[in-house]
Amino acid sequence: MHRTLLIAKRDYLATIRTRAFIFGLVVAPLLFGGGFLGVALMESKPDIKDRRIAIIDRTGVSAASVIQAAQERNAKNLFDKTTHRQIHPRYVFETVPPAAEPELQRLALSDLVRQDKLYAFVEIGPAALHPPQAPASGKDPRASEIALYSNASGFGEQRQWLTGAINEGIRRVRLAQLGVDRARFNDILAEITVDNFGLVARDKKTGKIEEAGKKNEVAEFGIPFGLVLLLGMIVMVGSSPMLSAVTEDKAQRLVEMLLGLATPFELMMGKVLGALGVSLTSSAFYIIGGTLALEGMGMAGLVPVALFPWFYAYLIADVLFLCSLAAALGAGCSSPQDAQQLAIVLLSPVLIPYFMLTFVMQQPNGAISTAMSLFPPFTPLLMLLRQALPEGVPAWQPWVGLAGVLVFTLIMVWAAARIFRVAILLQGKSAHLSDLARWAIRG
Amino acid sequence: MTGRTQLANIAKSMDAVQISNVTKTFGAVTAVGDLTLAIPEGSVYGFIGPNGSGKTTTMRMIASIFYPDRGEVRVFGRQMLGARSELIGYLPEERGLYRKMAVRPLLEFYGELRSGRSVAREVETWLQKLGLEQWASNKVQALSKGTSQKVQFIAAVVPAPRLLILDEPFTGLDPVSADLLRDAILELRRGGVTVILSTHDMQTAENMCDYICMIFRGRKVLDGTLASIQDQYGNDTIRVAVEGGIDSRDSLPGVEKVRDLGQVQELRMARGCDPQEVLRALVARTRVSSFSIMKPSLHDIFVRIAGPEAGEEHSA
Repeated sequence: MHRTLLIAKRDYLATIRTRAFIFGLVVAPLLFGGGFLGVALMESKPDIKDRRIAIIDRTGVSAASVIQAAQERNAKNLFDKTTHRQIHPRYVFETVPPAAEPELQRLALSDLVRQDKLYAFVEIGPAALHPPQAPASGKDPRASEIALYSNASGFGEQRQWLTGAINEGIRRVRLAQLGVDRARFNDILAEITVDNFGLVARDKKTGKIEEAGKKNEVAEFGIPFGLVLLLGMIVMVGSSPMLSAVTEDKAQRLVEMLLGLATPFELMMGKVLGALGVSLTSSAFYIIGGTLALEGMGMAGLVPVALFPWFYAYLIADVLFLCSLAAALGAGCSSPQDAQQLAIVLLSPVLIPYFMLTFVMQQPNGAISTAMSLFPPFTPLLMLLRQALPEGVPAWQPWVGLAGVLVFTLIMVWAAARIFRVAILLQGKSAHLSDLARWAIRG
Repeated sequence: MTGRTQLANIAKSMDAVQISNVTKTFGAVTAVGDLTLAIPEGSVYGFIGPNGSGKTTTMRMIASIFYPDRGEVRVFGRQMLGARSELIGYLPEERGLYRKMAVRPLLEFYGELRSGRSVAREVETWLQKLGLEQWASNKVQALSKGTSQKVQFIAAVVPAPRLLILDEPFTGLDPVSADLLRDAILELRRGGVTVILSTHDMQTAENMCDYICMIFRGRKVLDGTLASIQDQYGNDTIRVAVEGGIDSRDSLPGVEKVRDLGQVQELRMARGCDPQEVLRALVARTRVSSFSIMKPSLHDIFVRIAGPEAGEEHSA
């Protein structure tokens, strides 16, 4: 044990004393959070150029109403209410009379869009005001459609904006046709915001009923997402260098010298514990920093203190498992280039759960979410996410998940040590995955 | 009683290393086949043999880095079975030092790793002994190859091994550094340390080793003192210096092979060859300035076994 701790101490100090580590502490969260930062930056610099939309109204009565609805939306949403700065583009509609040859007209308008003279054009079908409930045979199915033609992407906010304005215009025409007083239109069509509350509960001590609090997006989404992102980041940053570090030690012939002084298991575990120390140091930096930041913003109540023990239990298990795997894979490689090719294999227990975050957040207690979070390689990230969400998880699941992770980690460390012992002195060729599997089984 | 004392007591009056019927294979390749040898305590034991013959594998098994597939290796009477002992110092053929560490902390780290205690005092002593005090605070990456090698040697001998395994310790050293290292090794031997070394330099093996073992294609082909090995071949070599030299194509009665060393030539005699007849033939052709009958050198024996002329006699 003394040798293991000595190697761990050397590796730990050698890592945290480097400028790269200190630089990485700051840069890693920027890289991981860079996407969100980029979106925020882009949103702060919106494209506010006017967007000209041509409208072909084949109903003959809808265009004016749609244009009026659009103008009202422009007036309502164009400027930030606090800064009075324009934050959305203005949509400017122009009516184009329907031509006898619709296809030629669509082509001509499409060319205008391509030449950037128009942003898009809308065609309101002749039956769009009152589309049939079921498709009628023999009739043009496009007659009841409202089509938006543009070369903008299909998922931008402009489609949502235009859909809202066009629907509002069409509904006004329908109301007018029903003889409803125009003065009542806004009252009838006014949208009501649905506020999102938690559940009402009774205080166990006082017996009083506690009012449900309005849900906070930071607490509902930001904290679980941030916590899982942090765990994954620390695990990745802590374990991925192990792959190249072992390969480099092997390439520089350090390994044979060390194996004269310590057993392969002591050497591997020393390296793994050193990496774990580095991960714990990084996590302490981020957890303390994040807690202080939330306190500074007056949101101390959002700090998920109850989850910290779970966070660290998962962190330790995940780093031990991935670092052991990295050491075994690194031992089987003959060059750092070979090791890089295996990085994706190593990081898959973090990357796959990352791809599943949105799904699990939407259905945290669904069968798939539950099953995936009980699958040991994915448990640390997915179970922690489910625990952090307001829905919570049945009390037994985190314990079963953690037990699975610990058993899995022990098996992986044991197998990795067997691979490491055989592979570490292999020179000149890289081991195949089949070799690694054979060494893990036969030793 | 500490483990060290126990081992020291066990080791009294016994071989430092006993290798019995050891075989080690890597896939289809047999690196060492059915090897048996004993290394007396307090001796300098040299492994010679061509590259890839199994010397390093044998030394790694003694250092317990490799485990034999069959047979057993005992060090001071005990099977090591993967354990590490502070009694064994190991200098691998490939030099392995943390390039970004300074010399003193690196040596203290290696020494503590072996012994489990602080070795600062011993490190200081060895740095002085090998004249490395001025490099003690420098990073390894700033050292010359020779200086790095001396640092690595210190890493193998700190704190105080009873068995020192040195794989090619003199490779790449200039003559001054090589002498320094040789003196240090012999001083350790005088202190009772058993030294196992491998070398490609036959002169080193002849001069330093009490016992020499040649491994060829994974098998032991020679084992004993230099004199006992040479005795196996008898006085079958003539060393001569003649005017104009001797061409290897020249035919001399009873001479199997001529090895031209420049200023002198070595002639290997066939069984039953009369050296007087060889001398008469040489005198008849040219002026002979020296003529001596001797046992073959280790170099010559090595070449006879492992050189291109070697037949199937020593093949696996």
